[in-house]
Amino acid sequence: MSASSVGATDQLATPPAGPAPMVADARQGRGRDLWRAVSRSKKAAVGVLLLLFFGVLAVIPGQIAPYSPTAKIFPPGLPPSRQHWLGTTTLGQDIYSQLIWGTRLSLLIALAVGAVATILAVLVGVSAGYLGGATDGFLSLVTDVILVLPIFPLIIVIAAYEKNAGFLTVVVVLGVLGWSYGARQLRSQTLSLRRRDFLESARVRGERSSYVILHEILPTMTSLIMATFLGSAIYAVLTAAGLQFIGLGDPNSQSWGTMLYWAQSNDALLAGMPLWAIAPGVCVALLGAAFALLNYAFDEISSPALRVRKLDRARLPKAEPSPEPAKPAAEEHAPVLRVENLTVAYATDRAPVVAVDHVDLELARGEFLAIVGESGCGKSTLLYAIARLLGAPMAGEIVGGRVIFQGQDLVLLEEKRLRAVRWRNLSVVMQSAMNALNPVLTVAEQMRDACRAHSTWSKAEIDVRSREVLRLVSIDPVHLHSYPHQLSGGMRQRAMIAMALLFTPDLVIMDEPTSALDVVAQRSLMVQIKELQEQLGFAVIFVTHDMSLVRHFSDRLLVMYAGQVAELSKTSELFDRPLHPYSQGLLAAFPSLHGPKERLLGIPGSPPNLANPPGGCRFAPRCPHVEPRCTAAEVPLYSVNGSLVRCVLQEDAS
Amino acid sequence: MRFVLRRLGFFVVTLWAAITLNFFIPRLMPGNPAEAMMARYHGRINPQALHALEIAFGVKAHQSLISEYFDYLGNVFRGRFGISLTFFPDPVMHDVLQALPWTLVLVGVTTVLAFFLGTLIGLVGAWRRGGLMDSAMPPIFVITSAFPYFWIAGIAIWLFSLKLGWLPHGGGYDPIDTPAWTWHFAHDAFVHSILPALTILVTAIGGWILTMRNNTISVLTEDYIRMARAKGLSPQRIMWTYAGRNAILPNLTGFAMSLGFVVAGAILVEYVFNYPGVGYMFLSSVTNEDYALMQGLFLLIVVAVLTAILAADVATAFLDPRTRDVR
Repeated sequence: MSASSVGATDQLATPPAGPAPMVADARQGRGRDLWRAVSRSKKAAVGVLLLLFFGVLAVIPGQIAPYSPTAKIFPPGLPPSRQHWLGTTTLGQDIYSQLIWGTRLSLLIALAVGAVATILAVLVGVSAGYLGGATDGFLSLVTDVILVLPIFPLIIVIAAYEKNAGFLTVVVVLGVLGWSYGARQLRSQTLSLRRRDFLESARVRGERSSYVILHEILPTMTSLIMATFLGSAIYAVLTAAGLQFIGLGDPNSQSWGTMLYWAQSNDALLAGMPLWAIAPGVCVALLGAAFALLNYAFDEISSPALRVRKLDRARLPKAEPSPEPAKPAAEEHAPVLRVENLTVAYATDRAPVVAVDHVDLELARGEFLAIVGESGCGKSTLLYAIARLLGAPMAGEIVGGRVIFQGQDLVLLEEKRLRAVRWRNLSVVMQSAMNALNPVLTVAEQMRDACRAHSTWSKAEIDVRSREVLRLVSIDPVHLHSYPHQLSGGMRQRAMIAMALLFTPDLVIMDEPTSALDVVAQRSLMVQIKELQEQLGFAVIFVTHDMSLVRHFSDRLLVMYAGQVAELSKTSELFDRPLHPYSQGLLAAFPSLHGPKERLLGIPGSPPNLANPPGGCRFAPRCPHVEPRCTAAEVPLYSVNGSLVRCVLQEDAS
Repeated sequence: MRFVLRRLGFFVVTLWAAITLNFFIPRLMPGNPAEAMMARYHGRINPQALHALEIAFGVKAHQSLISEYFDYLGNVFRGRFGISLTFFPDPVMHDVLQALPWTLVLVGVTTVLAFFLGTLIGLVGAWRRGGLMDSAMPPIFVITSAFPYFWIAGIAIWLFSLKLGWLPHGGGYDPIDTPAWTWHFAHDAFVHSILPALTILVTAIGGWILTMRNNTISVLTEDYIRMARAKGLSPQRIMWTYAGRNAILPNLTGFAMSLGFVVAGAILVEYVFNYPGVGYMFLSSVTNEDYALMQGLFLLIVVAVLTAILAADVATAFLDPRTRDVR
């Protein structure tokens, strides 16, 4: 599995990324970004070149083709030669010239069908999604019916009555029937956009629907609209060629399908004129492939996960010190976890971004450590780096440092031995159990999976243990046979905690396990976690952005800012005397439950972009106490009365 | 159960739409081909054949369009599609049923095979993200999917049967044989089906591979995959039960949608191979202007596609517990 979480040393020689690193994130899909992204994709480049090539052939065939496509002026059935690159037909026409002239109709059909289908798809899909209600119900039904009607047989029926399917028939029928797939996707995209803030605000501003659709909705769907166009164009190329091939096209028209029809009826392959049959097919495929490659490139842009990004270590900010040899195994009172110099970088299209920067921490047996900070500060990245769970969707890699857990460096541990440590000794509770539980397996099956991976328990023993842990978190064991979607949010979260306790591990890592719950459920879950921890004695690393949540539960607090430790001290200490201006700001941002009413201060601004962190203290741009020396040099961690704090104001106190 | 019932309702609505199209297309197209046809054949073919056309088009003298439409619906539900001109005086239903097994076996088996193989290859390829297979797959299959089925069929005949002489070049069985339930005939039919089957397989598989690959890649970013890794499950277990089980669900919906495309391709493959199935008969009926037969076959194709979609729905209900619950 874990190509993405490879150890620190074995990938140092990764070569720099290829010459054309692909595209920036265009999830927003806004036009300009999209085009910039497309222009950097190799697949898109090949597609565009092919289309341009065929485009030139279609526009000026007369200038390129050496002869008239219809003139029967040569000896029939000539083999390929200097004069006739692809030979001649049984009627003495130049095949090469026919091929060039045939481009026009094939390309025109593709573009026209693409245009008609796209316009219809946008009209139907966006109205259905935007208007909702009965209109949506009706339009969706029509869309679904047309989607599953087999178009090709239908167009054959129509062509049969009409005797042949000319350009107009093909375009109208394929365009009118080919929009449904795109409409379906555009509808669901519109539905999800409707709930977004910027649309709400446009509506509140009193903008007209037409304005909202044209200026707010359509620009965000550029890539989907392109996909609809390209998809129907591909379909049109292949279908039109098929129709012409069976003789339902206009037999006198110049097109690749018609060439194939005549080649087939004259047994070209048998009669020693194989290129007559092969070349038009290759052209159809190349035109189809041109559209398909563009389509695929758009796909890759709109879902970034499809692309593989390699971490470009040569462009990391500075060379990492090579890790020292691991110290001998743990002594008696060794910490359960020791993190040293841990550094994590994300691959991007430009230089790698360091999201966790030389973090050190120690965790005693049974200790409860909370990590707080705004989103984007590297909390979760640190957490998943410790658990060696980086990888999609967070394509980060550990580029330096060590994670000593039970005397072993997890960073260097090979996958198989790492698996043995997982869950038995180190388990994880994730933010949203809805997403973290496999939706197609029952709770019991997911528990059984974990047990089978780490024990030789019998089926009955697994069942007993599963019931036991569910009771620990106060869930009725009847829910063992429920699927995740059948449980309430709080129950799912408890079920996941139960699962994490199957083997009573030494360390449970929790990533905002309560943030999906309402305030009452949050408190009761916190109390329960704390009780279980005291009862079973495991250590906890708990990530949250809500400081007040952990006030009464955690032993120590680690405040992270911009990938670095800003402050690390005892929880009570930190709440009483926050040393770092960022900690002070965070505390001010949350009202105290019992204290007098205070104004919420918050912190102006937002965390820095880690691709380009400010020099010196990273908090300086937002800090109310900023001084010239803050930005002069990197600020080290100062030790003040047992707390660690990264602020020059504490320099004298340390 | 509710889910399957709802899909059954959709099945009926779509079938009704197809029958209605079948009725109105020949009557509402420019020049009213139905009337024109009736006029053209009047007095030229015997009354029985004329009656067949009446049923096929639902055209009767001195009747309103509405009552003709309901007559037509009634005939369709009793399986009365008229009489074939090509195989006169066989009823259309009889000919259709004769062609059906050939297509069911050839297209049915290859489509299902292409779906499973493609899904499998897509899953494994995406699982080894960044590997040779994963990086080579997309461009190769984007291009193979762009080749027309019938063209691949022609090339296959030329190469494997005319040049190399390995396999027969067409038909469903040797002309000197008569269809019978014997080993000899089964073997003969099998040998004749290899080339058309491979043609459909090669061209259809690319689409399944690419969609399954993309589904798997997006499923691999899900939290439950990370959770499965955290649990220390074996990579095989994660790949099959956590990634595969979830990634195949949208592919099953995709199966329903791409089926029309495969059917279109299969019709042309049967045509190129002179294969005695529904597609070949359908195209022959077009060439022979045997409209009764053509309309019957069109409806049969629609029913077949809808049945396959229903099967995919049932499979979805089976694999995805969320669809099973009453909403």
